[in-house]
Amino acid sequence: MGFLDQYDLSPNVWDEMYDRKQIREHYHKVFNSLEQFDVNALQQKDRLAGELFMNQGITFTVYSDDAGIERIFPFDIIPRVITGKEWDHIELGIQQRLKALNLFLKDIYNEQQILKDKVVPAALIASCPHYTREVFGIRVPHDIYVHISGIDLIRGEDGQFYVLEDNLRTPSGVSYMLENREVTKRIFPEMLASSHVRRVSNYPLMLHEILLQMAPAQISNPSVVLLTPGIYNSAYYEHAFLARMMGITLVEGRDLVIDNHKVYMKTTEGLEQVHVIYRRIDDEYLDPLVFKPDSALGIPGLMNAYRMGNVAIVNAIGNGVADDKAVYAYVPQMIRYYLNEEPILPNVPTYEMSDPEQRKHVFDNIEKMVIKRTNQSGGYGMVMGNKVSPEEWAKAKTAIEADPRSFIAQPIIKLSTVPCFIDGTFQARHVDLRPYALCGPQGVQIVPGGLTRVALRKDSLIVNSSQGGGSKDTWVID
Amino acid sequence: MLSRIADSLFWLARYMERAEGLLRVTATHYLLSLDKDVNGALTWQSVLETFTTATPAEIEATKNQTAEALKLLLTSNSNANSLKMIISKARENARGIQDYITKEVWEEVNSFYHLINQPTLDKRLSSYEAADMLDLFTRHSVLYTGITDITMARGTGWGFMNLGKYIERCFETIVLTNKHYQINHYKIHESKDIMQWRQLLMSLSGYELHLKTYRSSADNHDVLHQVLFNEDFPHSVVYSLGRIDRHLQDVTKRNFSEENAALMRCFGRLHSKVKHTDLDTLNNHTLHPYLEELRGEVLQFTKLLGQQFFSYA
Repeated sequence: MGFLDQYDLSPNVWDEMYDRKQIREHYHKVFNSLEQFDVNALQQKDRLAGELFMNQGITFTVYSDDAGIERIFPFDIIPRVITGKEWDHIELGIQQRLKALNLFLKDIYNEQQILKDKVVPAALIASCPHYTREVFGIRVPHDIYVHISGIDLIRGEDGQFYVLEDNLRTPSGVSYMLENREVTKRIFPEMLASSHVRRVSNYPLMLHEILLQMAPAQISNPSVVLLTPGIYNSAYYEHAFLARMMGITLVEGRDLVIDNHKVYMKTTEGLEQVHVIYRRIDDEYLDPLVFKPDSALGIPGLMNAYRMGNVAIVNAIGNGVADDKAVYAYVPQMIRYYLNEEPILPNVPTYEMSDPEQRKHVFDNIEKMVIKRTNQSGGYGMVMGNKVSPEEWAKAKTAIEADPRSFIAQPIIKLSTVPCFIDGTFQARHVDLRPYALCGPQGVQIVPGGLTRVALRKDSLIVNSSQGGGSKDTWVID
Repeated sequence: MLSRIADSLFWLARYMERAEGLLRVTATHYLLSLDKDVNGALTWQSVLETFTTATPAEIEATKNQTAEALKLLLTSNSNANSLKMIISKARENARGIQDYITKEVWEEVNSFYHLINQPTLDKRLSSYEAADMLDLFTRHSVLYTGITDITMARGTGWGFMNLGKYIERCFETIVLTNKHYQINHYKIHESKDIMQWRQLLMSLSGYELHLKTYRSSADNHDVLHQVLFNEDFPHSVVYSLGRIDRHLQDVTKRNFSEENAALMRCFGRLHSKVKHTDLDTLNNHTLHPYLEELRGEVLQFTKLLGQQFFSYA
């Protein structure tokens, strides 16, 4: 079929497949294979992919008229292709960044040297809602705080990769990365096999290895569990998926109990000690005795067990201070400070709204800016300066002036586009990239690729699944 | 094993067994209801009374309307015991233990759930496709049984699943038997046309076995023997209790505790009540209380089992 007939590119955007004269070389194979299919065959594949997700229960529930409707997260069948060379650069950049962020977390909860040397302003940390005083001075196994991260990367008009945000608490989506590949195996087997795509399927085993290594050293057969909020959580599928792929027990807060500063799970044979918890519950819900007292998801007394070193918690508690969007602006300085290196992956320029001069600059150039809340994710609380109505802007402005520390601004970056199969045609849509990196005692490992999130609405730059985003399989080819 | 997981496995198995029982009864009744000549007035009343939470007035309004009755039994949201509700509950249990059950078992329960939630179902059930749909559901149900059997690991979890399955089956046979003998006023020693018993036997997949095994004309007596005491009949009460015995031994051995003894005694009393009862000692007057006592003791045993192994919240 005529692949490029309706392939319409917006100006000043980097398209990853088409450089406006010809198809980029690394897309040749995919492009040529796709040209062999007619629209019906592709629509057939699209339907098949949807059924595969549905039957496996990879769904989320939308509630309306007291009947829950199950939907799948939209999946676009056309893989996104990244070259091995580009990937190697990304890998080095993320490894460097995580090394620095781990050192920062260790420092900030112990000596606080970086504040004393005034590289990061103390006021910024003191005003960060995710700075967790309760974990000050607690040493964690191997000094690793960020075991699992999902750093979001975007590609600007120059084709460069930038870091958009660091997700260092409980990043989700890795099951989609793995399932997307499994679905591609079913719908494009020949194309996948002939493209020499780097493998992603060993992620759960790598993660399991790291979890085992976090157990107290004297334990020969540690018991590792995955702590989930339960079946009503929107990421529950992922929790069950990972637990199954690693062969560890999936527990809820009510399955665990603390006795004498040790964590146990309630089994049919009595209590059994737990040594490592991979938790998918936010910090504030973990222990009702220390954080939110009304949390029914957590385990009373968990913090004491953690403080005593009787249980390892992955990711560490208190990581939110390092992925606060205002602290993000200082990550390049952290890399220079702790590692004496230049950052490999650049940040997106970030304006702190608490600084009057920067705030004025942002307000004067609002049509080129996007304003974000420092502690929000999921695309909520964002103001796109080029789309905002005067009334909304007036309201947002008042909110910012009342509490400037809770906002940052960044220039609107046109994310790169890739081809998507939409309504029987190929159309360019904006994407980002979230590679999943794992830190263990042996260093940082990243499965090649990660999750490509795509804004399925035309010209939209918001890729979050809660805001009309979907995902794609991501291929790193050599 | 986590108590919560044991609990969910138990209920997953119970709900799936309940679904299978409901399907067999419904399919049997549907096909027999097409033969108007059986006794001219076969209604859905007894089935609706046994298997739904509908009020007497609703049953009265529905009992002569096959399409409405099917809807109430299979796809209704208002009947807490419709196939749709049962499968939803089974799936909810399966979802909470996805890491424990195999991917295959989860996918089967999940696809059954999506099948029963198809919006066009009601229309198809009121058309000529009704029998096909019932077959399709039944196929999913037996597929679940097969997939569970060939993919689930043996061990504590397997024990709890089977306890759930056979306790449910035991209940179902007792309740259905009671209903049918109630219609016949518990007259064990009289004989009715075997065609009248076909409905019960086919609902329990035992009609062929009956024809092969029993040669006398004392049908009321023979059918009762088959559903209560025939060791070879997989839906008989004695067979189900035998299975429960086996899995209970297994589960208590793997999860030793002092309190297991009380549970074993409770089950022992129940089991011997069936094993050591002579059919000839039952008569028109004693059959009804006997069945009621059995039901009560199964209930009591189930309660104890839950207290012993599933208390976690």
